[in-house]
Amino acid sequence: MAWDVILIGAGHNGLVAANYLAKAGRKVLVLERRNIPGGQLVTESFGEGFSVDALHASAQLRPDIVADLGLRIEASRAGAAYTCLLDGGKRLVIDADPARARAAIAEFSARDAERWPEFVAFMDRAAAFLDATYRTAMPRLPHFALREGLPLAGLLWKLRRLGGRDMFRVVRAMSMSAEEFTGDWFESAALRAAVSALAIHGVTLGPMSAGTGFTLMHNWLNRGGLAHRPIAGGVGTITAALIDALKSRGGEVRTAAEVRNVMIDGQRARGVRLASGEEIAASCVISAADPRHTFLQLVGAAELPPEFVWQAQSIKLRGCVAKVHVEADGRHGLPEGTLALAPSIRYLERAYDAAKYGEISAQPYLEVTTSGNVVSIHFQFAPYALRHVDWEAARAVVEQRAIDTLDAYCPGFKAAVARVHTITPRDLESDYGLSEGDLNHGQLILDQIFFMRPLPGWSKHATPIDGFYLCGGGVHGGGGISGASGRNAAKVLLS
Amino acid sequence: MFELKRTPFHERTSRLSLPQNWRRWAGYLVAGSYDLVLDREYWAIRDAAALIDITPLMKYVIEGPDAARLLHRMTPRDVLKMAVGQVFYTGWCDDDGKLLDDGTISRLSETKFRLTSAEPSLRWLAMNAVGMDVTITEVTDQVAALSLQGPKSRAILNRVCARPLDKLKFFRLTETRLAGKPVTISRTGYTGDLGYEIWMDAGDALAVWDALIEAGRDYGIVPCGILAMDMARVEAGLFMIDVDYTAANHAWIAGQKSTPFEMSLGWTVALDKPGYFVGRRALEREHKEGSAWKLIGLEVDWQGLEQLYARVGLPPQIPGMAMRGSLPVMHAGKQVGYASTSTWSPVLKKYIALAHVQRPHYEPGTALQMEVTVEHHRLHAPATVVKLPFYEPEWKKK
Repeated sequence: MAWDVILIGAGHNGLVAANYLAKAGRKVLVLERRNIPGGQLVTESFGEGFSVDALHASAQLRPDIVADLGLRIEASRAGAAYTCLLDGGKRLVIDADPARARAAIAEFSARDAERWPEFVAFMDRAAAFLDATYRTAMPRLPHFALREGLPLAGLLWKLRRLGGRDMFRVVRAMSMSAEEFTGDWFESAALRAAVSALAIHGVTLGPMSAGTGFTLMHNWLNRGGLAHRPIAGGVGTITAALIDALKSRGGEVRTAAEVRNVMIDGQRARGVRLASGEEIAASCVISAADPRHTFLQLVGAAELPPEFVWQAQSIKLRGCVAKVHVEADGRHGLPEGTLALAPSIRYLERAYDAAKYGEISAQPYLEVTTSGNVVSIHFQFAPYALRHVDWEAARAVVEQRAIDTLDAYCPGFKAAVARVHTITPRDLESDYGLSEGDLNHGQLILDQIFFMRPLPGWSKHATPIDGFYLCGGGVHGGGGISGASGRNAAKVLLS
Repeated sequence: MFELKRTPFHERTSRLSLPQNWRRWAGYLVAGSYDLVLDREYWAIRDAAALIDITPLMKYVIEGPDAARLLHRMTPRDVLKMAVGQVFYTGWCDDDGKLLDDGTISRLSETKFRLTSAEPSLRWLAMNAVGMDVTITEVTDQVAALSLQGPKSRAILNRVCARPLDKLKFFRLTETRLAGKPVTISRTGYTGDLGYEIWMDAGDALAVWDALIEAGRDYGIVPCGILAMDMARVEAGLFMIDVDYTAANHAWIAGQKSTPFEMSLGWTVALDKPGYFVGRRALEREHKEGSAWKLIGLEVDWQGLEQLYARVGLPPQIPGMAMRGSLPVMHAGKQVGYASTSTWSPVLKKYIALAHVQRPHYEPGTALQMEVTVEHHRLHAPATVVKLPFYEPEWKKK
């Protein structure tokens, strides 16, 4: 069997790219090192009756991808609230229903309540602009051909159409901190913290870090707002839909098939060699793994130009998220929807400060979702590179801090804890194949986005190896769950 | 205060150098010459033996299971095919195939190499060694080096070395003792004559120097500075970084960079070797498409030169040392290149130059003109493209 394309990694981007390619008639094989496909989109069981969305509480592929590929994915449930836990037992409940959200915000500031719908509309427009950016190939700066500028001109036209005021706001907000940006809009400390929490979600940045204006738009786009939109059956159903679609197009997915390296001959990819020693030939290989792992492990520095290797080594990953999944005994008492423990911007910044010094936040930023009896806690900051302890010892610390902190804001929670499964940044690396435990395959920071993602000069999915491409979250469009980079990579290959 | 380093031979060389014309070489002070004129030192290279302090060469020891792989990847030569005891001359490039530096690779054992370079190379070595099991140690200051060049060099060494060097072939090395001190001797040099380079611990430097001067007395050994060596290396067709080419990482503009093919180093580019090496794609392309430029030898026509000077009533005036000024090279009234080093060749009795010439003018036998300044007037003397080297005595490789 000769394959046209081998994809390394059956995460959502790998599967999206595989589907586009199979749809265009390519013979496609997707190889996954784990026993279950899905990458970050997995609904996993950690014991009987303890089945959870391991890494992401919700996920959405871009609507055009769902339509292009004819995916049968159950519509995610809108309408869930985003609840901010505040000091003194207070809560700010931002409902998806604008009227109810305004009423809740009005208790903190009448002015902010008034501005809320305008803010949501602006964020939606900013997200739409980012969405357009993520479907536009970035020029290979600094040396780019004039024709590469054409799609960019189209993008600038879209930006212009946002209108003078919004265009200015979007461009300005990208480099701003969430603290400054939310200060432009709101006066209420609680509301500013609630929005800032989304800005730092999944990234090793604090709300006072430059560029969290950008990460706010990015997360807003991928999530479709502040609150998660959970999917019945879990995020794994998206993976299942992608695999069903792929199979119906003649593609194949093999699990427990870890790629040891890409076979290269004369600076051209010829296929892959599995950890088992098996060799599979293909005329084209695409990696959905993060770029650093891809280049330094799967390709190998010896096959690449030294300057390129140096750049690949310099990609900043810096994972800082731990997941603490709790099976409760039926009395956890948490409300539905998305719960954010982000009482103030200062609180979030302090939580981030710990990460700067290689420590686990004593008072972490938590985002909590529930599914029946199961409580999933997203814990920040738990830096991959700890300074004084190793992660084996620190696992218990994260677990305890997650549960104790949540219990302090939701009394009685701790008493309901029955079983716990914690995923540390080390686990994200060893079990899920995410270098340094970075969910984004490379930090979403100003020098690692757009034409600088994954590396300056290599923004178009191609690599120094002919017939070898990148389609994971580490390239433009990626970071988070959207499928954009998988879609874009397939389109580059097919063009 | 910043001070240039002194080599371990400074105690001897500083007393011998009459003009005290110190030259700067890779952060060291070295003698430009030992006499007020270069003739005695130059002719020692061609007729007897010249002892040259070459300690400032940058030296790196590369050791480990992947040492050969590292140099195989970094340079265009097929290092995997290199025998223990063999020495390779090579340039190395950036990924656009533009020369960064040049030097020699010595295979000291299966897993140990010594690389010499003109420029600091630790960073580039480390960047190329990512993922390899190899250690890289700079030993520039720890290892002293002397070059003994000239037809009598072997006879002198045989008097002081533990074993005769008669069987040591061109571009091979051996480990032996000299005056009781452990040394590595490679049959290499920068003069195009019979010659050897002696590598020793810096602490043994003076003992080795003294032993060579003593043993060489009967053979007319002469301490020689780098100015006389500069004349000899042009005759040998050997170019120099920063003079005849600009390192790609130091070039201000793309036009200042050179490829190995442009520097007539095509013989060092093993395009048939397996695997990636830095610059491979660009060099493959250039090999296929041909080079836009080439470094060639230019011999100035003496009668033509004489005529230019005769017009003003003078005999030809040629500087008695190698000139590093750029001289335009013309064809049919248009500039088609430039000479980067020119010199009077005492042994050939010719005015010669290393020149960079555009296609198609670089083929041997092509008639060109080179600029000469006659009584403040810039004129063009007829010259012919010749194959390098200009001078290669039969005993060089025997």
